[in-house]
Amino acid sequence: MATLKPPTNTHRSSSASHSSGPPKAPLKADPTATIADTVVFQGRYLVTIGAGTVVHPRAKFYAYEGPIFVDDGCIICEKAVIGAPPTSSRSPSPSRPPSTSPTESGASTPEPRKEISTRISYFVTVGPLATVEPGAHVHSSATIEALATIRRGADIGAHSKVCSRCEIAAGGSVAEWVVVYGQGPGMRRKRARGVKEMSPAVVAAAQVAQSPLPGPAPAGKVIEDARLMVLQKEREVLGRMLIPAAGGRKK
Amino acid sequence: MSRPFPYTYISCPCADTPVPDPARKRRSRESPQKSPQKPPPERANTDQDKKLSAKEEEQGEDEDEEQTFDPRSPRSNFSLYPPEQLLYCEECHQIKCPRCITEEIVSWYCPSCLFETPSSMVRSDGNRCGRNCFNCPVCTAPLAVSTIENATGNAPQQGPWVLSCGYCLWTTLDIGIKFDKPTNIRSQLQKMTDSTPPAALDRSRQASRTFEDLKHPLSSYASIDEQSNARERDGEQAAPKEDQGAPPMGMDARFAALKNFYRTQISETSNSPNDHLSSEFGFSSPGALNRLMSLYASSSRLSGLYGGSKKPKSKPPVMREALTASEGLQVASENSETDMIARLQSPECGWDGMASIDQRATQSPDARFIDDLLPLPVLLRTKRAKRCKSCKHILVKPESKPQSTRFRIRLIALSYIPLPTLRPLAPSSSSALPAMAPTSDLNSLPPLRPIHILLTLKNHMFDPVRITLATPPVTPGRVATKVTVLSPQFEIGANSDVWDEALQGASAPLTSDSRSAALRGVPEAGKVWDKGRNWTTVVLEVVPGTLPGSSAEGGDGNPNTETNDEDVLAVAASRQDEDVLEIPVFVHMDWDADAQLDQQNVGKGSKPDDKVTRELAYWMVLGVGRIQPSL
Repeated sequence: MATLKPPTNTHRSSSASHSSGPPKAPLKADPTATIADTVVFQGRYLVTIGAGTVVHPRAKFYAYEGPIFVDDGCIICEKAVIGAPPTSSRSPSPSRPPSTSPTESGASTPEPRKEISTRISYFVTVGPLATVEPGAHVHSSATIEALATIRRGADIGAHSKVCSRCEIAAGGSVAEWVVVYGQGPGMRRKRARGVKEMSPAVVAAAQVAQSPLPGPAPAGKVIEDARLMVLQKEREVLGRMLIPAAGGRKK
Repeated sequence: MSRPFPYTYISCPCADTPVPDPARKRRSRESPQKSPQKPPPERANTDQDKKLSAKEEEQGEDEDEEQTFDPRSPRSNFSLYPPEQLLYCEECHQIKCPRCITEEIVSWYCPSCLFETPSSMVRSDGNRCGRNCFNCPVCTAPLAVSTIENATGNAPQQGPWVLSCGYCLWTTLDIGIKFDKPTNIRSQLQKMTDSTPPAALDRSRQASRTFEDLKHPLSSYASIDEQSNARERDGEQAAPKEDQGAPPMGMDARFAALKNFYRTQISETSNSPNDHLSSEFGFSSPGALNRLMSLYASSSRLSGLYGGSKKPKSKPPVMREALTASEGLQVASENSETDMIARLQSPECGWDGMASIDQRATQSPDARFIDDLLPLPVLLRTKRAKRCKSCKHILVKPESKPQSTRFRIRLIALSYIPLPTLRPLAPSSSSALPAMAPTSDLNSLPPLRPIHILLTLKNHMFDPVRITLATPPVTPGRVATKVTVLSPQFEIGANSDVWDEALQGASAPLTSDSRSAALRGVPEAGKVWDKGRNWTTVVLEVVPGTLPGSSAEGGDGNPNTETNDEDVLAVAASRQDEDVLEIPVFVHMDWDADAQLDQQNVGKGSKPDDKVTRELAYWMVLGVGRIQPSL
């Protein structure tokens, strides 16, 4: 977005100088966050971007129903949609002055609604064209793959993964270390976190052959640690790539 | 038909081999209105005189050629193919469908690593890649070999190594397996899960040998039974001890032990001197046959019938079943089902911990839970050559290298027959007749209103082709649609170089003429609609018929719907996709080919300049659209 300014500690209004078009959401971004030029921030509530987070071009943040919190170390990919665009029956007034407490100005709001905050915790990856609807809570180190949809009020546990084209129903929950794969509601699989028992086939083979069992395998957490390390490197590289390519600005 | 309108199918002549029924044809000739399913074909249906003369001529010809192709016939499902799926045999000069060819495997290769597997290794590898290529047992995505230590930065490329799925994040750590080397993962995994005991086969052979002593040819059948019963009684006490002592065998080991045991049993029982049948007739299970024969022989009534006067022979040895664990017998434990149910009900397993049917299909039968699944080596694929069934001529031969997508030989039919394409003629504003139906939506063609369809045939040969089209005046089936080809005979230019047309000035006026003809927008009988370098477009005038029982059907004369009751019955009996308008078109093409290509040509006549006239004829089906149920 061309109107992005260097970060400040206070909330910034980008819609103050405009009288038409959708309202631009106040943005509070960490100086170390990387936000591309063409990212869309709309709505009346605050959008918070944490440290080290990378937001790819053409991602959309719709803060019409409540604030959006994106914590540190996240990657929001191209055309991902966080929040929900306004519906036609409840279109916001475009010339509404920005405010950190939008519920105070009841004159421009058709009906008082409860704030529905959307939270994306630390080290979360939201894939291209994925949708995280208002009220969803994505816990740390989770992965939302391309074209996945997290409906309203859904809760995605830490270190879990919602695979491409999967959909988590409104109010649904995904436990920690669970992978939702397939299509639509999909199937679920619990990831290995600690040291798992050896496969019965291997144990039986060792018994039959009267040979010692192979050495115990390391805990499954090792794989997750490695993935997070790779994610960290990806963020570093992305931060370098996005700025010259998109002409954006590093915060 | 599943293709979107309009579509074209070509009928392979291999399915055109039904026994002709002369009586049926006679009926259809005598009363064509009562049975419109089998109207005689018309070569030129634009003129009634031509129709009659063509009919008279064709009556003298072979009756097989007169039979109109019916796209709604059940046999047509097995003969109609999209043009791009057909091949062409240069020896037989015939179109070849997938039923007319035989396939030969050229090479086996892994689609993941693109390594070719020798045919001698394919069976021993179980048709799967013997290297590092695996699929995820949970989601079937390809698995990657990755090291753990490298990721944590301790010691690069030193392992241990795991197989990991990039999609569902399954790793071999989920089943507690790691690998010491990044290569030969298949052999490492096989070594881990190989449950064949080193002495299992020997033990099994020993057990069979001891039983062989019992089944001495001189010993009687009763004595064998007695001894085996005694052994079973002893075994009841001894077997638990043995089973407790011996570890349970794995699935492969048990299979191998059982296979070996029964092979020994079969060989022992079939090699007896009393067994004549196995050697003479080659029965695969002579033991079973012996048992049956002995049953018949022991029956007093049957023995009286079948040579009862003969002396009873010595009873043949009987094949027994596996008795011990070393022979492959596995006695189900009492608590296994209970344990399984308890594990299923436990919170750490639950529904998500159970393996699905798809997951279990390629795994060991014992695998019930996700934790029991093992990574799957990738199935091999094949490259296949295709031969003509009749003349064994090679039609398709790919290069054997898996990395190459090229073909050494590929005789696709579209190189020899013109490619048909179909589109509706949009009537221009100036020339549109008021009676013409708008043809924007082919999924709802109004009945009884004529539409014009443009049929373009594109020639891919380097010789010009003369085409003759013929359609029945009324389509077969209960929905009688009138079809007229406005110019049934025409010529298509050769598929010459594109630059020839540009360099030769003579072709320019042709194009302009054709364009102007197209601009005229009035299809005329006997004239092609448009013509290009190697394509020609002709117009088909189609009057869609009325569906049985539809409101548009009044004085149409369809005998099925004369009264209201019959209407109801006709609607009830309307078959699926009966409203689909499919036009059978008989295509006859002839061209002058070089004689040197084939000395033993099948052409009718030869030309002085070493050219022979070659001809090809086939049926084609044009899927125009769907007829509206009412006007």
